[in-house]
Amino acid sequence: MQINKPTHRWQLNFEGEWPTSVTFLGDSRRVAAGNRAGQIFIWELPETPPTVEPVAEKSKESKRSTPPDLAPIRRLDGHSNSVTHLVSTADGKTLISSSLDRTIRLWDVNATPSGSAEVVLDSQDRVRKARYRSKDEKAAILEAPGIKVETVSAVAELKGHRDWVGSLGFSRDEKRLISGDATSLVIIWEFDALAPHCKELARWTGHPWNWVVAAALSPDGKNALVSEYTYKRDDFDIPAAALKIWNTADGVERLDLLKLQFPKLDVASTTYGAAQVWRKFVAGGLIAADLSPDGTIVAVGQGGETDTGKVHLFDVESGKLVRTVSGHRYGVCDVKFSADGKFVLSSGRDTMVRICLAADGKEVASLGKERGGQFKDWIHSIAISPDQQTVAGADIAGLIHVWQL
Amino acid sequence: MRCPSFEHLSRRALLKGTLATGAGGSLINWGSLFNSQVIANEVKKTQKRCILLWMNGGASQFETFDMKPGRPTGGLFRPISTNLAGVQVCELMPKISQCMDKLTVIRSMRTSQVDHPGGIHLMHTGYAQAAGIRFPEIGAVIAKYLGRDGSDLPNFIKIFSHGNTGAGFLGPKYQPFSLNPEGRLPTFSTSSLKPEIESRRNSLRNFVEDIYARRHKAETVRMHREAYEAARRLQNVQSVFKIDNEWEKYRDLYGDSAFGRRCLMARRLIEEGVPFVEVGQSSYDSHADNFVWHRALVPPMEHAWAGLMADLEQRGLLEHTLVVWMGEIGRTPKVNNRSGRDHYVRSWSTALAGCGVKGGVVYGESDKDGVDVKDNPVTEGDFFATIYQALGIDPDTEHYNGVRPIPIAPFGSSVVQDVLV
Repeated sequence: MQINKPTHRWQLNFEGEWPTSVTFLGDSRRVAAGNRAGQIFIWELPETPPTVEPVAEKSKESKRSTPPDLAPIRRLDGHSNSVTHLVSTADGKTLISSSLDRTIRLWDVNATPSGSAEVVLDSQDRVRKARYRSKDEKAAILEAPGIKVETVSAVAELKGHRDWVGSLGFSRDEKRLISGDATSLVIIWEFDALAPHCKELARWTGHPWNWVVAAALSPDGKNALVSEYTYKRDDFDIPAAALKIWNTADGVERLDLLKLQFPKLDVASTTYGAAQVWRKFVAGGLIAADLSPDGTIVAVGQGGETDTGKVHLFDVESGKLVRTVSGHRYGVCDVKFSADGKFVLSSGRDTMVRICLAADGKEVASLGKERGGQFKDWIHSIAISPDQQTVAGADIAGLIHVWQL
Repeated sequence: MRCPSFEHLSRRALLKGTLATGAGGSLINWGSLFNSQVIANEVKKTQKRCILLWMNGGASQFETFDMKPGRPTGGLFRPISTNLAGVQVCELMPKISQCMDKLTVIRSMRTSQVDHPGGIHLMHTGYAQAAGIRFPEIGAVIAKYLGRDGSDLPNFIKIFSHGNTGAGFLGPKYQPFSLNPEGRLPTFSTSSLKPEIESRRNSLRNFVEDIYARRHKAETVRMHREAYEAARRLQNVQSVFKIDNEWEKYRDLYGDSAFGRRCLMARRLIEEGVPFVEVGQSSYDSHADNFVWHRALVPPMEHAWAGLMADLEQRGLLEHTLVVWMGEIGRTPKVNNRSGRDHYVRSWSTALAGCGVKGGVVYGESDKDGVDVKDNPVTEGDFFATIYQALGIDPDTEHYNGVRPIPIAPFGSSVVQDVLV
């Protein structure tokens, strides 16, 4: 990854329910994104974005230019509740999605379409554009036909979970998947790219009250990082979080990172002061996780609505906290390592993507700008293109942002 | 006036008690037929009482009883079928879904106070806060009309208390007695002295107070003595508050949670004749992360609630015990940019079960997005009037604050007769 002068290349409308997940499909010009209604769309971006003339929404405003929008070409139909994560194979042929509908689905993104549909993904944008227009112009804008997309069905559906599947990870060798649900169940899957299909290899559960809020695999798929958390069940509950490294072959725990961090802390019977230290570290759950490409460093992001969400970096071998980097006001949403392991990218509830050096935690670039009132919108998910020079972000305001680094 | 059959002692119990008492010498306490333990127990059973399950912060109607699947306001959870044909509730409530034949759910609450302090006052008293008047909480009213004078246990108990209106103008006699979130007695209620020393100290205090009371006829003197007397009597029933042994037996029924323990405590207190117990669960004020918060809070709550009703029913207490489920507000149809729902009172839900109310009733309806009440709006006054009516207390009963008459349910309130037996 080389950071030059980041530019905002595309701003794709994906209105309706919140976009929650995004990934690249094989190269930097093919993007898939899912939302909270369970929809997944695919965009194919041309090499060069068209030039967009700056416009002013109100007559007295100075003209502003926003990056161009483009219609998606395909919709992947099947999920009936929020898509939580999207991962794809390096060749971009297979997309894997997890969902609150308790399933994981595998998609052949190039499959012959099963049908077509007309969709409107810019209804709020239309309302904005229609302001201050004449009645006829307004009607023309609001009632304009939608876009036509091909629809595609999943090639496989994994039904091993019986509750919300909130976590999904894919090993870099593309042989194993990890998924975790709201009953603390973790499943390790063997991925068969040819079928494509997955076979269950191992499963285990954590604390019965906890949910798996983040999961990631080492590059060879042999180690799994699992973050558990439960929101408080009562006013005085201390969040029962766990952050552990497991052996994926047999589901045996290898390292308890939080135990190493707080060796003397007993969550069940602790003092108020110790609980505060714990809360400060865990925040609203370590809800985003990634392993460095060499498998030596773990990155986990503090989620929930917290003061300033940070990313903790742990050494996998010793389990020790290496450093804490980044800082998203109100919490982190996603975290990713660059392919060379030099950078940690994180997104959060401050409408920002921050890029920090893994070596010293220094922030070297930020994408986007803080937007909204006291509480900003969220960049719910980020993706890095295979060539490492493009970053995409799923913005809950109904946008998919694409930045060139 | 026709009385429901459960208001009477059963013939079997009366005979059993009479025979047992009539057997005479074997009973220690045999002065009166109605002093027999069997009859006393039966009287305790048939006494009307109320448990308020208080969802502090305002549980979301969309994530409990009034789902809007497929609508923009619907949220992330899915509806599940219930044991009531055609009625669905949130998937977070699998146990309550199987108790719907015992519940009256009101999906058309429309109340007037949208903030927490105002809402907590409103939904504890039936009245909006007003300068110069301290309205009594529902627990105080019930303590007054259904409580027993001289009882060892307080008549109005709060476990994990919310709201601080208390007895208001009804006076300190009906003030709530609060247990901590674990359901334990406050430290001040347990004497650290040996019983004989405590007894001597009481005698001395009584002696001094007698002298003082002869010279000062103030009401506060009497109240002070009553408070001490109540505290002293509480020492006789300390065992009621020790639930560890019973908890082991009932953990599965109530669910392994703090709220479950509180509900078990409530059942014990009700069984011992306490007419009103409030059980609180907090943290529903989900302006951010509404869905994950409800995902954490609702399952232990509904497990305990279902367990409580099953336990009450099994003990023959449910038909005499009104279980009220409510918070101070509902939550907005719109999900904000913090994945939260804000305060909302134009259309929300509450539930009733047990004494005096029908089971298997869904009353009122909100519109397709849950923005407004479509049918049969129920105000706070109507709700309180209905509760009082269900408990056999005339909601038009008036108290006087100075010369001002104040009915226990606000003027103009209507009892929702459709939900009452």
